[in-house]
Amino acid sequence: MDNSLTPEKQNSVIEDALYTYPVASMPRNITSDVMARIKTIPAPRPFRLTWNDLLLGIVFSISMVAMWFSIYNLPPLVVAQIRKESILLYQHLLVNMRWLIPVLSSSLVAFLSALTIPYLRRELLK
Amino acid sequence: MENEPAFIQRAQKGDHDAFAALVDEHQRYIYNLALRVLKDENEALDLTQETFVRAWTALPNFRGQSQFRTWLYRIITNLCYNRLPNLRRSLTDLGDDVIAEIPETDLTFDNPAHGFESHELRSYLHNVIENLDENYRLLISLRYQNELSYEEIANMLNLPLGTVKTGLFRAKEQLRRALERYQEVSWTIP
Repeated sequence: MDNSLTPEKQNSVIEDALYTYPVASMPRNITSDVMARIKTIPAPRPFRLTWNDLLLGIVFSISMVAMWFSIYNLPPLVVAQIRKESILLYQHLLVNMRWLIPVLSSSLVAFLSALTIPYLRRELLK
Repeated sequence: MENEPAFIQRAQKGDHDAFAALVDEHQRYIYNLALRVLKDENEALDLTQETFVRAWTALPNFRGQSQFRTWLYRIITNLCYNRLPNLRRSLTDLGDDVIAEIPETDLTFDNPAHGFESHELRSYLHNVIENLDENYRLLISLRYQNELSYEEIANMLNLPLGTVKTGLFRAKEQLRRALERYQEVSWTIP
């Protein structure tokens, strides 16, 4: 063998080894295994808009438009009354229900933590 | 595979036979990629199966922007990332400090090394490839066995183009050093 390969020759030898690096053959065909697993999974449903989606969309849009019209067409006296009542409700919450905010925050944290349980369980069972 | 888009469309509509044909066609390449990265036959088989199961559930989202096989490679690579948590980091850590303009070698190029280099040397280098780090093995497998371009690999692995080029360049440098060691040994042993 030539012991003094030039850089070009070295490149050729390396490229040759990379091109001829063999693709491993399968120890066994896995099609039947895959198909057996797939049969237990419901058939994939392509994304499609249904009449229900359309109906919901229309109802939502009409509600938004109706709300917008109501807000801008209420008599000023009623608007002032609503504002007063909302301020009173806010004050009531601040004074009498100080526990509500920490309870809501803790519940949210607990809910988000619970969402991770299936994933952690899957990882542990691996 | 002839008429692959038709098979994909049928599979997207829930046709099991069409999907089985796709599994038959692509399993070897998906298995090979997993095996080259994981170096474990059973794990590679397991991940190959998992890839096709995931492909089936995600098939409605396949819009044909990339080739079907490239899409499968993306799934198996993500599964390999889960199996080898350091793989992703080792790829991004490659950086892109090596020459930006590494020419992309033509995969149909008729290599002059064919024919005159010994079978022994080729096997030796294949063995060296097998023992490279997993990030290099992944890049080599995608580039040379699956014949993806640098851009395709970069898109698939979500890495900068320079990182892919750097990775392949460094892998070749390791092969070059191994080749030099081989030459030294064969020079000293008469």
